[in-house]
Amino acid sequence: MKMERMILIAAMVVVTFIPRAIPAALIERMRFPKKVEKFLNLIPYTAMASLIFPGILTVDGSNVLIGLLGGAAAAVLAYLRAPLIMCVVSAIVVDMLLYLI
Amino acid sequence: MDGEESRRLMQYVSGLKAGLPVLFGFVPVGIAYAVLASQAGFSPLETMLMSMTVFAGASQIMAVGMYAQGAGIAAIAITTFILNLRHLIMSTCVMNRMKGTPAPLRILASFFVTDESFAIFTTLEEKRCTIWFYLGMVTLTWSSWQLGGLIGIIASGILPAIVTASFGIALYAMFISLLMPNLRGNARLALLVVMTACMNTALSSFMDSSWALIASTLACAFLGVFFVDTGDE
Repeated sequence: MKMERMILIAAMVVVTFIPRAIPAALIERMRFPKKVEKFLNLIPYTAMASLIFPGILTVDGSNVLIGLLGGAAAAVLAYLRAPLIMCVVSAIVVDMLLYLI
Repeated sequence: MDGEESRRLMQYVSGLKAGLPVLFGFVPVGIAYAVLASQAGFSPLETMLMSMTVFAGASQIMAVGMYAQGAGIAAIAITTFILNLRHLIMSTCVMNRMKGTPAPLRILASFFVTDESFAIFTTLEEKRCTIWFYLGMVTLTWSSWQLGGLIGIIASGILPAIVTASFGIALYAMFISLLMPNLRGNARLALLVVMTACMNTALSSFMDSSWALIASTLACAFLGVFFVDTGDE
């Protein structure tokens, strides 16, 4: 094992753990006002929207349909309240079919 | 086994099941990471060590990429830190649903915060949000990430290209599927989601994508406070 890569890994452990651990260490002391609670409750939706767009447009660098049609399959099934795993597998299958044709 | 223990076990198992969709997303990305790491000169042991102790897919891929191009440790560490600042927000939301959990367990739990565990856990009904459910879920997400790395090291050539390419949609499909049920019958929340998607797409076109994500997530959640009804008021 090369020392340089060991130090790199150690440095990455530190910088990835700090943002994760700070809220865990402090949360018990925090009492949020109602508006802040609401703000925190909305973050999952805005974070997921940001995680999906624009990334989904470049799932396949050369064909935007791979992302859009796969995503649409998951969206329709999820809207119909299909189980999560089924939505994910369907999106994968749609993309496999797209690659095959 | 007493009642409390069996209840915890049931929560753990239900968490394991909830984490299953992540398997489809993490394994192929883990394979990609391991292949890149090996090309960058990382030994199999170093490759797995990083996966086990860092557990941040995008950052690991970026780090081995930068390393291959000769970047210094400080530059890689700073970039990783910026890329992972979003976990500060996500971990706050996760921990806010875990109040009452002893601090050592919370800190342990925080190590496993990823975009995916955050997304599943924070869209769960409040009463199912327990530390045991969470630990079950992240057992599966963490193991999936290790499994992907191992497959990448041992047998990257085994999976046909079409299969691995098709798995690229998996995590997006999961985020979409976690969002959709909540948007049914809540047009204002749907509007907020569309707004956020547009804002992040616009911001990403001219600024670093990790800052764009943080900015659009926070700014739009703030705007949402004034017009979205989350049903808890």
